[in-house]
Amino acid sequence: MEELLEMANKVCDEAEVYSIEQNHRPVTFKNAKIHDVDSKFQSGISLRVLKNGKIGFAYTRNLLEREELLRNAVDSLKGGVAADYAFPFTRSIAELDTYDSSVEKISGADLVEECKRVCDILKSRTGGEISVSAFTYTENIRITNSSGTDVAGKTGMFGVYAGSVFPGSATGIWRVSLRKGFEKMPDELLDQIADVYTRSLDVVEPKGGKMKVMFMPNSMLTLNWRILSGTSSKSVYDKTSPVADKMGQQVFSEKLTIVDDPLDDSRPGARAFDDEGVACSPLTLVDRGVLKSFYYDLHYASKLGAKATGHGYKSAQWGGDPISLKPVPSLSHMSIRPGRESYWDLVKLIDRGIIMEGALGAHSGNIPNGDYSVGANPGLYVEDGKIIGRVKGTMIAGNIYETLNDVVAVGDTLYHASFGGWVPAVLLDGVSVATKG
Amino acid sequence: MFEKVEGILRKVDADYADVRYEIKNDTIITFNGKELSRIGANSTDGFVLRVLKGGGLSSVVFTREADAAKAVRAAVENAQLLATNADKPLSLADAEVVDDTFVPELDEDPRGVSMQEKLDLVKRYNDIPLGYQKVVTTSLSYQELIREKYFVSTSGTRIHEDLVTTRLSGEITTKEGNLLQNVRVRAGGASGFRAIRDQEENLEARTAVALDLLKAKPVQAGEYDMVLNQGLAGVFTHEAFGHFSEADIIETLPTMREKMKIGNKLGSEVLNIVDDATMPRQLGFYKYDDEGVRVRRTQLMKEGVLTGRLHSRRSAAEFGEPLTGHCVAEDYRYSPIVRMGTIFIEPGEKTFEELITMLSDGLYILDAKGGQTSGENFTFGAQYGYVVKNGQLGEMVRDINISGNLYKTLNDIVAVGNDLTLSRAGGCGKGQINIRSCHGAPHILAKNLVVGGA
Repeated sequence: MEELLEMANKVCDEAEVYSIEQNHRPVTFKNAKIHDVDSKFQSGISLRVLKNGKIGFAYTRNLLEREELLRNAVDSLKGGVAADYAFPFTRSIAELDTYDSSVEKISGADLVEECKRVCDILKSRTGGEISVSAFTYTENIRITNSSGTDVAGKTGMFGVYAGSVFPGSATGIWRVSLRKGFEKMPDELLDQIADVYTRSLDVVEPKGGKMKVMFMPNSMLTLNWRILSGTSSKSVYDKTSPVADKMGQQVFSEKLTIVDDPLDDSRPGARAFDDEGVACSPLTLVDRGVLKSFYYDLHYASKLGAKATGHGYKSAQWGGDPISLKPVPSLSHMSIRPGRESYWDLVKLIDRGIIMEGALGAHSGNIPNGDYSVGANPGLYVEDGKIIGRVKGTMIAGNIYETLNDVVAVGDTLYHASFGGWVPAVLLDGVSVATKG
Repeated sequence: MFEKVEGILRKVDADYADVRYEIKNDTIITFNGKELSRIGANSTDGFVLRVLKGGGLSSVVFTREADAAKAVRAAVENAQLLATNADKPLSLADAEVVDDTFVPELDEDPRGVSMQEKLDLVKRYNDIPLGYQKVVTTSLSYQELIREKYFVSTSGTRIHEDLVTTRLSGEITTKEGNLLQNVRVRAGGASGFRAIRDQEENLEARTAVALDLLKAKPVQAGEYDMVLNQGLAGVFTHEAFGHFSEADIIETLPTMREKMKIGNKLGSEVLNIVDDATMPRQLGFYKYDDEGVRVRRTQLMKEGVLTGRLHSRRSAAEFGEPLTGHCVAEDYRYSPIVRMGTIFIEPGEKTFEELITMLSDGLYILDAKGGQTSGENFTFGAQYGYVVKNGQLGEMVRDINISGNLYKTLNDIVAVGNDLTLSRAGGCGKGQINIRSCHGAPHILAKNLVVGGA
């Protein structure tokens, strides 16, 4: 890497080398039987260069031919992509506890054992079609640039994803447990899968209308995607953020505080620097409903005359390959401050409503405008504080800038959400529910 | 190239093994609004090794040739762990041994078009919507993806196949007051660069829709009868039915598997559905899948009755059904899974006008905006629609998201048009992205679909 940086420095004004190594080992059980045991060993390098206010970019899997990588990056300068910023000099970064070496010692057999244990418990308690996967993942990222930055971080994770699927469908009640090292899936999560599943076995056909709707972590992407869109510096620059001119104003209910804290290493996946080598720090986006900040990468910070907040990540809507992606503003550690109510307390607050255990179509609809219209997958129908059953063919719809002003309560437990954040259950009122009949 | 791959295979002590080595060439040009935000060409490569030993099948992905020995050890170890813990040994359906090189014919090889010419073309397209005052921003990308695949198995199969995909994709965003609207732009295919040329009218038409949507009314939530245009009916076919024709999805869901038995009647008599990735010059076209199996035309539904499904070698053995050649990976970062190739509803007799007359009252909805499925339930968005009253098209409506149920909706398709078209840009995400996922349909008339409203 040093050699590549040196070579690039000779022909360009500035250069940055990003390298990543990823090891992934998943074990999957389907219908309570072992199905797959796989492994992945991947690595790669990407190079960004700056020259005369333009940026060039290239990447490779194997640094066998440095010259070719550099040539690709220099060639791409000719396209003339403007960059009015410099690569940062990051003198020091927070020391984080993100890597527990015991994660490397978790064997395939350990993963199989944990899957078996979870399958047995859920099978006996729900009678449903049980799917469980367990995995270990390690990631090593290093960024060096010609400003003198040389930062590196190693992350380890152990996760279990378990669900009980309703008969005749592929939808069910799912929970995920994510830790830095080996830890059995906690009983609370297994209890919740079993309790919620057994109470929602009956199919019910309630009438539609406006009612309470509770978003669980597996459906929270619906709201999260629109929040991310509205508070991104890219949307502000593109003039597609409905809250671009609302800084300091009340945009959501005062029950909502939305933060991004990459430094919180009590959970796995904490980061001390983003994918551009900018040091991370906690950021409050919305404080008790008041809009406090947008999030920036280097590019949009320079466009808008703001300071980069350490939110430039090589991420894309559908995953993607980090080495091939250019950094974009991204909220990788988004969290909603928990409230006081437990899951069952929240259910008691629902006179009539739907619990969205999952959502279909979070990615469709008019996202910049804040509109959502998603299928309940599954949706549990609640009456007088009790889960009565589950609904089919039901959609819920609203606009976050309206419905997030009508927050009834926020749950007390943070769950890992599929999109990478940690969120509690959020109970809203006045959400439109459309049903058959 | 084959020697490199065969060298790895020789180190494997197993009942069966295969290696796919791929070189992936990626060219990308992206505009965000009037600014060029990315341009460049890159090449990456990697290996996928699969090992079957003692009844366990494991796959290992690796990107450094130096990791080959480690990958072989891991694959054998994983396969043994599977074999020890499984109720019954896994087998692969017998596949023909093939030695072939297949390079598709192209209408203009994109590798022969200069970067400057590509850039000029994308800029010209991007400038079309930006010429309108109410267009607040655009995003427009040209992507060219060339997969050079080398597949070798211990059975003696050796295949080199190239897949060349070109794709123009983006979004036009309009704004009036506080209201934002957006519309997707798509073009491209598997037949070369020609598919990217002459898109001016396409861009003009999409811009007109994005501007008209500013005046459209939100649709009222509720249950409607609808005519779906070809793009939307294609997504419907893919989401509502196609995924459950993928054997790996239902393999381990016993109750769904029972409902999806060959011979079961799931749809109305007017419904005939096929997956045919053998049609050249269509987006979904390929010759061999990523297990080295030649792809075949597969009739999935005939007059509403299930007649076939899509398989990998593993699922074909499990179901005791014929191989179809549908086990496909996104690229060298993934082991293959069962995917649709080119799925479509076969055309019927009705003209569009006849379908609208039959509909009488309801909605005419057009063009897909994302779809998703999970077991029996599915949703998808339409980019826009029109209210239909007494068989006449009326005002434009927006914010249309539909939900339905696999077992019910296929029976609620009451008429099929005569105007089949196939999609030219795909992006199915089933753990991996398949940009060549192709679907199609003629106009169709469906009853009782739920609209979420706004």
